[in-house]
Amino acid sequence: MIEVKSVEKKYGRKKILKDVSFTANKGEITCLIGINGVGKTTILNAIMALTPINKGQILIDGEPLTKNSFEKITFIPDTITMLPHMKIAEAMEFMNDFYTCWNQERANELLGFFRLDPKDRIASLSKGNTAKVNLLLGLALDVDYVLMDEPFSGIDMFSREDIANVFTSHLIENRGVIITTHEVGDIEHLIDKVVLLDDGKVTKEFSAEEARENEGKSVIDVMREVYQR
Amino acid sequence: MKKYWKFTAIIIVIVLSIGTFYVNASTSAEQSPTFHINALSGDEKEITPLIMKGYYIDISSMNIGNSNLAISAKGTTYQSNSFLDQFVGNPPTVIKRLQEKNRTFMRGKNYSEDLFFENKQLLAYADVESSPVKSRNYKFDISVLTKEDDTINSFKLDVPEGKEMDYLLVEDVQINEDKLYLITHNFISNSGKQYEEKHIYTIDLSTKKMIDHEAIIQFSRRQKHTTIDVQLVRTSLTKTSEHLILLKTENKVSENMESTSDEVVIQEISSYNIQTKEKETINIPGLHLGGNRLSFFDDSTIYFMMLDGQNLLVTPYLLGDDTVGQPYNIQLSGEKGTVSEPITIVKDGKLYIASSQMNADINADVIVADAYTGKTLFKGQVAVDGSSKDNENFDLSLFDLFVK
Amino acid sequence: MKNYMKLVNFEFNRIAKLFAVLLGVTFVIQIVGVIVQSRYYLNMANEIMYEGMLSKSQFLENYDKISFSQIMNSMWFLGSIWFCVAAVVFYIFIIWYRDWIGKNTFIYRLLMLPTTRLNILFAKITTILIMTLGVVAIQLIMLPIETLLMKAIVPKEFIRDISVNEIVTIMPEFSFIIPNSPIELVLIYGAGVLAVSILFTAILMERSFKWKGILGGLIYSAVAVGLMISPLLINEFFLNGFFYKIEMFVLEIIMGFLVLAGSIWTCRFLLMKKITV
Repeated sequence: MIEVKSVEKKYGRKKILKDVSFTANKGEITCLIGINGVGKTTILNAIMALTPINKGQILIDGEPLTKNSFEKITFIPDTITMLPHMKIAEAMEFMNDFYTCWNQERANELLGFFRLDPKDRIASLSKGNTAKVNLLLGLALDVDYVLMDEPFSGIDMFSREDIANVFTSHLIENRGVIITTHEVGDIEHLIDKVVLLDDGKVTKEFSAEEARENEGKSVIDVMREVYQR
Repeated sequence: MKKYWKFTAIIIVIVLSIGTFYVNASTSAEQSPTFHINALSGDEKEITPLIMKGYYIDISSMNIGNSNLAISAKGTTYQSNSFLDQFVGNPPTVIKRLQEKNRTFMRGKNYSEDLFFENKQLLAYADVESSPVKSRNYKFDISVLTKEDDTINSFKLDVPEGKEMDYLLVEDVQINEDKLYLITHNFISNSGKQYEEKHIYTIDLSTKKMIDHEAIIQFSRRQKHTTIDVQLVRTSLTKTSEHLILLKTENKVSENMESTSDEVVIQEISSYNIQTKEKETINIPGLHLGGNRLSFFDDSTIYFMMLDGQNLLVTPYLLGDDTVGQPYNIQLSGEKGTVSEPITIVKDGKLYIASSQMNADINADVIVADAYTGKTLFKGQVAVDGSSKDNENFDLSLFDLFVK
Repeated sequence: MKNYMKLVNFEFNRIAKLFAVLLGVTFVIQIVGVIVQSRYYLNMANEIMYEGMLSKSQFLENYDKISFSQIMNSMWFLGSIWFCVAAVVFYIFIIWYRDWIGKNTFIYRLLMLPTTRLNILFAKITTILIMTLGVVAIQLIMLPIETLLMKAIVPKEFIRDISVNEIVTIMPEFSFIIPNSPIELVLIYGAGVLAVSILFTAILMERSFKWKGILGGLIYSAVAVGLMISPLLINEFFLNGFFYKIEMFVLEIIMGFLVLAGSIWTCRFLLMKKITV
């Protein structure tokens, strides 16, 4: 379980996050939803200790993040995290070099799934394929938690489908996933839990399934309620 | 392993290249020739306490590295000029010896020999300290080490009338029984008047108080058409002097359109008795001071030296009874008509002479003589050691003598 | 340790190509310099011999022979050496900023490696050190090759032969980067590592606190330099030279280690708690 507790984050005088708390469980896909600039990416960065927070606490399975946590949790930002001049094969070799949890079998599977050629240079790839490589590098790690920042933004339709298919496959099964998005449409049917963010605060945290079953509302219906109030 | 090849290669290149460089450096070092003193006549024991300081230049090579060296009866030692040695420091020989013997006492002491006095019982030091904040705030900083029980007596005293001084320098320190004498050169500027003086301060070491002070001589350096300078003839720090010897030089300055020239008009030697505070002018009939080098090393005797062709003409003068001793000549070897100005030192009644230059054409003499009679006790020459003889393009200059 | 070595190797491979180009350019410039300077000397010698109707031996009696150090004193050599120095100094900054700037955001990956973040710092310092020593080592290899080239151009009797070790002692630029004794080498490059660690601290402050960080970095650098010279100043002005030079030397080395430790500790703190991608 990832626990985000009363996190506050300022940029200069401006409070980007004011008292954000939520949890994300293993085996569930948790979706952080909010308009651009609401601090979704900042939350993911904060979980990975890529940016300092001013107040609050973040725990992963009850413990604060250490260097060993990176074998347990990984983050797929919306930009490629490898050097552009590297070939996909070199990027995989780099990952294999540093991570004991790197799973080459799974990486190969993903290569086939995304129809990527390991001899290609990252810099020469299309935007969609770059996003796929980024995803591959994250998902081929045998980690318990995966954080993804806007995996669908700015990507062509077919790539989107490919990526969306990953979520329903065994590649995601049993992991805890936190995903951010500003348009929920594509993945509405995939997500288990929704965290709505507005004005630096969590406005609503709810289970998508419960909303559907008990109230007969889709995620979008709930969002509409919240935002139009 | 393939991805490590660049890294491995550069590491190997670095280790081999720099390693080779230092291996070569250590094998090709010590190329500079060594010198020894070649005895021609006399007793070789005479030169055992002598150390000659000099500078070696290899004209044929462009190596302008620092080649300071010391030649003694034991041979040659080059002063190593490494970075590390600069940190260790290279004080003058006298100071170095004092530091080795009295490490605690010598802390924070300036390197000038003039500021020290040493005898069997004591080692004394005195310098002027000026406040970095207040101007014209001078203090004497005095420390005396009693050798027997290793106690240090140090104290500070205000310089009397210090407010009138631009600055002052300690030129000599003397101790007689319980009194410490400081001889200073003071630069005084006071209500528009500017002059200099040699001053003596008498300090009682037991009470740490100044008993007395007086000006030995006062003079104005710049006057119309003349400049005046007064020098205290320095003594070795281990000597207890009864007398101070002052050399006053008056220069006539003639100014042309283009240049100014100096001409020595009057030179006057006077002695000052530290105990009795008596000053008298020394007048030696028939001795032209012009061109004479005056060396005062022995408390009772002044030695005037003058180079006359290949001869060094020495005239001893006994202060005690104001008489001129028998002048004598010491012949120096000058080849091809060149005799370089020798460097001299007198210690314990012995006169040590060394030529100041040596190269393939000029030999360098090393002579030890009885200072009073001129009887040669040792005569020798500096010679290049066998192995390094082939190089003829060198120049060795000697600039200082030191007798242990 | 293993991760550190991997990171060093990775960092070095990142710059290896450019580094090779730098060395190659330097080599070419120096080779051209040798050719130009040797020719220049020969032309001058010929002209003097022709005009003064001198024979070779007469010329050699009256004029200087050429030695390699003359060639080295030209802009070709000094320029190329300073060029290398400038390139390495420039890279001290680039080695960090290249991870943030541009499309790739490699800093994400570096900070998410399952190893202590200090290893990133150590790997970058080591890379700078290897580059610097690499320049020196390659230059030492170039010198004999260039000497051979000069000998091929200029007839033997006009040359005053000097060894690589002599060349290095004569040139102040060289005797600084490759000093006389290995101990000095360690001291100079130790001081270099210290300086780089201070600069890295300043860079990480900028990366952590942006504009305020620049100010912080400047203050940190000033404090570090101040600490380094403080023993000298205190000894000079407050203790009246109480310490002997050798003692000052030891104190300075201790101070150097303290400042180095301070820099590393500060970097560690920044990388763990304050850095932002």
